[in-house]
Amino acid sequence: MTAVGVQRPAAGATSGAVPSFPSPGRMAAGVRLVWLYLASRRVPVALAALAAFGTALRAGLEWHWIGAAGPGVRQLPSLLEAGAASVIAVVAYSPFGEPERATGRWLPWLRLGTAAALTGAAVGVLAAGAAAAHLPGGTLAIGRNVAGATGIGLLTAAVTGSALAWIGPMAYTVVAGFALLSNWTTPWIWPGTPPHDRGAAISAGLVFAVGMVVITVRGARDSAAGDGGDGPG
Amino acid sequence: MTAAAMSLGYRRARAVRVAWLASAGRLLRIELRRNAMIWLLPVLGALFWFDAYRTAMSYPAVWDLRASVLPAKVVIDFAALVAGASAWMGARETRCRTCGLVTTTPQPGWTRRSATLAATLTWVIVAYLACVALLYAATAVQVTWGGPPWWPVAVGAAALAAVCTIGFAAGTFFASRFTPLLTAVAVFVLEVVGFRSAVGAFGGYRLLSPAGSAPGQDAGLFYPYLPDLAIAQAMFFTGLAVAAVSALGLSRAAGGGARLRVAAAAAGLAGLVAAGVSTGLVGTARVGPNGVVIAALHDAGSDQPLRYAPVCADATGVPVCIHPAFRSYLPKVTAALGPVISLVAGLPGAPVRVSEVATSLVASTNQQADVAGTPPVYRFAMPPTPGSFVQIAGENFTQSLQIAFVTTVIGGSAPSANGPETGNLAQQVVETVLLRRVGLTDGTLNPPTNAAAVAAIRRFAALPAATRHAWLAAHVPALRAGQITLAELP
Repeated sequence: MTAVGVQRPAAGATSGAVPSFPSPGRMAAGVRLVWLYLASRRVPVALAALAAFGTALRAGLEWHWIGAAGPGVRQLPSLLEAGAASVIAVVAYSPFGEPERATGRWLPWLRLGTAAALTGAAVGVLAAGAAAAHLPGGTLAIGRNVAGATGIGLLTAAVTGSALAWIGPMAYTVVAGFALLSNWTTPWIWPGTPPHDRGAAISAGLVFAVGMVVITVRGARDSAAGDGGDGPG
Repeated sequence: MTAAAMSLGYRRARAVRVAWLASAGRLLRIELRRNAMIWLLPVLGALFWFDAYRTAMSYPAVWDLRASVLPAKVVIDFAALVAGASAWMGARETRCRTCGLVTTTPQPGWTRRSATLAATLTWVIVAYLACVALLYAATAVQVTWGGPPWWPVAVGAAALAAVCTIGFAAGTFFASRFTPLLTAVAVFVLEVVGFRSAVGAFGGYRLLSPAGSAPGQDAGLFYPYLPDLAIAQAMFFTGLAVAAVSALGLSRAAGGGARLRVAAAAAGLAGLVAAGVSTGLVGTARVGPNGVVIAALHDAGSDQPLRYAPVCADATGVPVCIHPAFRSYLPKVTAALGPVISLVAGLPGAPVRVSEVATSLVASTNQQADVAGTPPVYRFAMPPTPGSFVQIAGENFTQSLQIAFVTTVIGGSAPSANGPETGNLAQQVVETVLLRRVGLTDGTLNPPTNAAAVAAIRRFAALPAATRHAWLAAHVPALRAGQITLAELP
């Protein structure tokens, strides 16, 4: 992917004049930029992975892997939420490194938009997986927990690199699992609190916001091309 | 061939072998230094301290109980992260786009990947054994009886080796940025589903889950530790690990020729057979009073009770004896039982001795305690000790001991899990009054609430202590037999 198409004036644009709305050429270039960005981040595969988590949640509800009550009832849903958040964090990997950072002024916005859109998609897919079935906590808890875990994943990506960013949400899930079985009620363990718990919502939202800001401004800590991405093809 | 030529040939072969070993050692050293698992060690250490170590330290200082966290907590906490990081290492050549480069090196793909896997596995096992050492060292300074069990250590090591090799194979065969996280989540889902199936359920294939082997509180105290299930689990996980390693040897990228493929196929088959046989063995498991018994692996000698000299105290004239492993709890037990022993002293059938026994001896009647023998001996199973992870709602250690004693001696049966009060209404009234006398509140006791019972409680509590004791001395056999009604209470 290059940013050449973006830097070059779009065909048909009048030199020196600033149009009130983007011309079709600029629009096409913008769409192409977004598509190339999403393709370079393997977003289509990420969406398939998110769909798989939604299916797993459905399977868990159908086959009663998720109990109706008890302290461990939120364990599997919180694991799948953390898995979806890990996908979003891993998607932050840049296969181009420094050249991309040096040329693309839209890069922070693309990072922000992708992370936000994927978070929305993760919530939607998991909510769809739980539709017409009793999931403890409901859709509200899914949204809060996915947002919080995504924040942890994005922060981990900024520290370890995006390819290993799944370690953050997974480690959090282990801690949350212990807290769930021990009936902890701290707002920092979101899966263990009721969906309308204001403290948990604030803490999850805070972590999500910090993660989004960090990933937007700095991006993931990926040292060089070829260290963390996919193989050829 | 002359002797000199033979000697020369031997020396050459030896030199080749030494050079090969030196080369392999160098390769392993490099892989150890450049392994992603190093960066995971602090996370694993933190998780160990947070979950497994703190949970183990909340248990009584009993070897088997503390060691149970190794498969049930350490493996469960580590497995997903180990599988993910291992998949990351397995995908390295493809990820770094060096497949073409390394194919031209003198070492075949099998050797390279074996070195990477060996280094990854070494870090995993080192981390695990460090946790074992820490846990056992902390336990060694606290225990008063017995020695460390090693089967739980073996099961944990085998389980982690299995997830490490399976993760590595997944990373090798499906190299993608999503493979490590999907492997980690898949292992985690298996754990959660397996844990849900294993906890509270006995028998069947769910016992293959490491979380399914949590022993009772008195495991290894009154009867030897039963290794049947641990043997089957270790066999299952080792079989899976061998099969996963063999799969690496069978791949085209292994580049080892027909001999390697045949050897890998044979090893893989052996691994799968071992896993299959152990699964079949676990299917025949039954839960005995002292643990899981698998007939084909069972040593009948393990059914003989262990010999031990109980530790006793005699503060109230009634000796209180417990297992030496609980020596540090003896002052607490005597302090808890002293007041209730004094309340029933001199009553017909009052125990002349208090003795801790195996849970299996009193649990056969779904009780925590009973009064047996002539002269009567009060036998009880140790309740969850102070700080224990499992506590009965609303009760602490002292209250559990006192409630069990009074309800057993007065009502003839110890409390059930549903509440401390047992027996008919007259028995419950007497138990409530006596337990209030030693300081227990209604929040813990959950006394009967109907008007007649409340009036009887008030009436019986208002009696002078000597009058009440005299009435009990005359009527306690009938009360215990359920022949006294509320109206007959003074």
